Amino acid sequence: MSKPEKFFDDKGLRLDGRRIDEIRPMKIEVGVLSRADGSCYLEWGNNKVLAGVFGPRELHPRRMQRPDTAIVRYRYNMAAFSVEDRIRPGPNRRSTEISKVSREAFEPVVLTHLYPSAVIDVFTEVLQADAGTRTAAINAATIALADAGIPMKGLVSACAVGKVDGKLVLDLGKDEDNYGDADLPVAMTQDGDVTLIQMDGNLTQDEFKEAMELVKVGCKQILEIQREALKGKFDQFDTEEIEEETVAEAPKSEVEIDETVEVETEVVETEEEEVVETEEKVEEEVVADDENDEEPDENTDDEDVEEGETNE
Amino acid sequence: MNKKLVIPGQFLSSDVKNAGSGTYIDDGKVYSLLYGILNDKKRINVLPFSGKYIPSRNDLVIGTVIVVTPSNWIFELGSAYDGLLHVSEFPRRIESAQMKGVMSVGDSAIIRIKDVNPAMKVEITMRERGLRVIKDGRVIEIMPTKVPRLIGHSGSMISMLKKETNCEIFVGQNGRVWINGKDNDMDRLGEAIDMISRNSNASGLTDMIFKFLRNESDVEDDVDTNTVSEDVEDIQTDDVEEVSEDTSRKVDMLLDPEDE
Amino acid sequence: MSEVMSKLKKDYVYNLMLKGQREDGRAFDEMRDITVETNVIDKAEGSAKVQYGDTQVLVGVKLQLGTPFPDSPDVGVIITSLELNPIASPTFEAGPPRENAIEMARVTDRGIRESGAIDLTKLCITEGEKVWMIFIDVHVLNDGGNILDAASLGAIAALMTAKVPAERNGVGEDFMMPVRQMPVGISVVDIGGELIVDPGRNEEVVCDTKITITSNQDGSICAMQKSGEGALSEEQVLKAVTLACEKAAKVRENYLLKI
Repeated sequence: MSKPEKFFDDKGLRLDGRRIDEIRPMKIEVGVLSRADGSCYLEWGNNKVLAGVFGPRELHPRRMQRPDTAIVRYRYNMAAFSVEDRIRPGPNRRSTEISKVSREAFEPVVLTHLYPSAVIDVFTEVLQADAGTRTAAINAATIALADAGIPMKGLVSACAVGKVDGKLVLDLGKDEDNYGDADLPVAMTQDGDVTLIQMDGNLTQDEFKEAMELVKVGCKQILEIQREALKGKFDQFDTEEIEEETVAEAPKSEVEIDETVEVETEVVETEEEEVVETEEKVEEEVVADDENDEEPDENTDDEDVEEGETNE
Repeated sequence: MNKKLVIPGQFLSSDVKNAGSGTYIDDGKVYSLLYGILNDKKRINVLPFSGKYIPSRNDLVIGTVIVVTPSNWIFELGSAYDGLLHVSEFPRRIESAQMKGVMSVGDSAIIRIKDVNPAMKVEITMRERGLRVIKDGRVIEIMPTKVPRLIGHSGSMISMLKKETNCEIFVGQNGRVWINGKDNDMDRLGEAIDMISRNSNASGLTDMIFKFLRNESDVEDDVDTNTVSEDVEDIQTDDVEEVSEDTSRKVDMLLDPEDE
Repeated sequence: MSEVMSKLKKDYVYNLMLKGQREDGRAFDEMRDITVETNVIDKAEGSAKVQYGDTQVLVGVKLQLGTPFPDSPDVGVIITSLELNPIASPTFEAGPPRENAIEMARVTDRGIRESGAIDLTKLCITEGEKVWMIFIDVHVLNDGGNILDAASLGAIAALMTAKVPAERNGVGEDFMMPVRQMPVGISVVDIGGELIVDPGRNEEVVCDTKITITSNQDGSICAMQKSGEGALSEEQVLKAVTLACEKAAKVRENYLLKI
């Protein structure tokens, strides 16, 4: 690949047809790995990244433990085949630096002090790299953290802004990244607090201010996509239909029962129907009343949920 | 009834006084800390969809021995924190040399969290009736956040499950569920528990599970049922029933919170 | 991080198998559901995502120009790597590959190499100077057991879709990877004398002896590896070979011939 002759067409659109303030299409899937406590697969332009969260779990070696808080470990790793020229598997200076700043992008929002001595592991794998893999990985990691049930003050959204042919553009594409004049990846909280910022290239102070405005727009859009992805995971929310169906079908089972036992069964069946009815009434409340003992921010009650067994 | 999916950082209410679990307050507003379901019937609580078990004093859990020292058993609890059972917390006197004979690596037991210090050092006891080493049956793992759902309001789900499957059931707070009964009953119960865990957000869940078990039992050989209950009775001990009385009180406390 | 499996769980899985049953209801000679998606990574010359039940691996094939080995100046070079990434299991740790990962990489490699799956002479550009180097990288994403079979299937599937990037490298026209064999590896574990194919994760933990047999279209065997602490009787080994070849033929027919 060589440097494109121009980065904008006559209408001011970019190489891939985007406006200067438009991000590449993003697709998010939540909960894709059965072994991780939380996970996310994210495609953004031609980036394909996977994030998995494990923990809070026990931290080894023990000397790394901190008695007052959990630590966050973040691994940014690229698959050997994720880029044009194969890279050697395993960490290198670049991935080590990205892992560090990405971890620090989450530390302000994750409530680590709720898990003394433990570790929350965030692993991100870049399966295909386009431009902006670190921001893609952060966007996936925040979803995986939520999916793992890790308490956070909010999601983290990340996007880059850059300068190409003297113009500021949002979410650099591959060529824009390779041949542009500046690259400014930023991660921010929903309130706009910056949790990651890096830059290379050259920007005037005025351009920088403008760039920050632009990147805020990008992060807002991404935050919306992230929210939608999380909300979409449980779309089967209200299952009135199942309820109706169940009530309608329940008595049918009698039909299939052998005549010889029918009398007996009928008695049982009536009993059960009563049970079902009462349960129906409480059912609505159950959902509302279910308390969870695992209350991260407020641990006032010590009630037990326990079940022994009695036999009838 | 308000049953709404919320995500971390989502604004929930301005009613700061009633901010409950799974929430935080910022600048006079209540936000969600978790990805889960909002319950704002009285206090504003968020019940997460998932999450690891955090040991808490008095919890009854099922642990697996991972280390045996001359005076302690260390239990893995499905949590970031292991639990320490000192030999003096075992119901009878044990000599150092006997430790492994009583419980060795891989053994499971029903135990109580005696204490948790601020550094999350977890102490365990078995000096209580009903707490014991588990020798038979199966242990099924569900997400700890789904435990209340498995028990149900006033224990409704669990009593239905017991009645329909003729199995003994013990639900540990850490999401480990011990079941014991006849093999095919345990199979059915296992499937039912899996179903509860997968559909924990559905309404009419008890019904759905009831129907599932009924249909299943129609298919299967009903003749066995009597033998099964006898078997189970044999396994029963007084200890277990004792836990059970204790249980109904506590589950009710949990599922009928102070707001009623 | 090692995982302590409770004895109850172990006994449950073990006893179930003694009764002729498996945790997920499969028959002893039944594989899990398999999916193979090819060309999933544009940046790689060939790629395949393979799922065996819960197990997910992603295999990418990259090609680079390089110098041949002095003892084989006229053929291309195959280099296979496999990493048990910590994202794939709570028991995997970050760091350089340990013996398990290295063993799996080498068994995968042997299947491809020894079957002669790739006509390596077609990958020689200038004898003794310039040949194509094939990098097969197995990225393990989720460990649901039997990573090795998924890796082996992924490797050949990725090779079958690989295009040699000659143009980009200024050495003629692009051409498809010269694949002439479709080796498929099948792992079998021993349980109380019985053999079980495609072990799930718990089955792998419970059964400590595994044998992996890689076979070709013609039913010949090109690679084999016994792994784990136990021993197998001669009869079991022979039986395992028959079983593995039979399963390999089905997997080849259902997933490779369709690519």
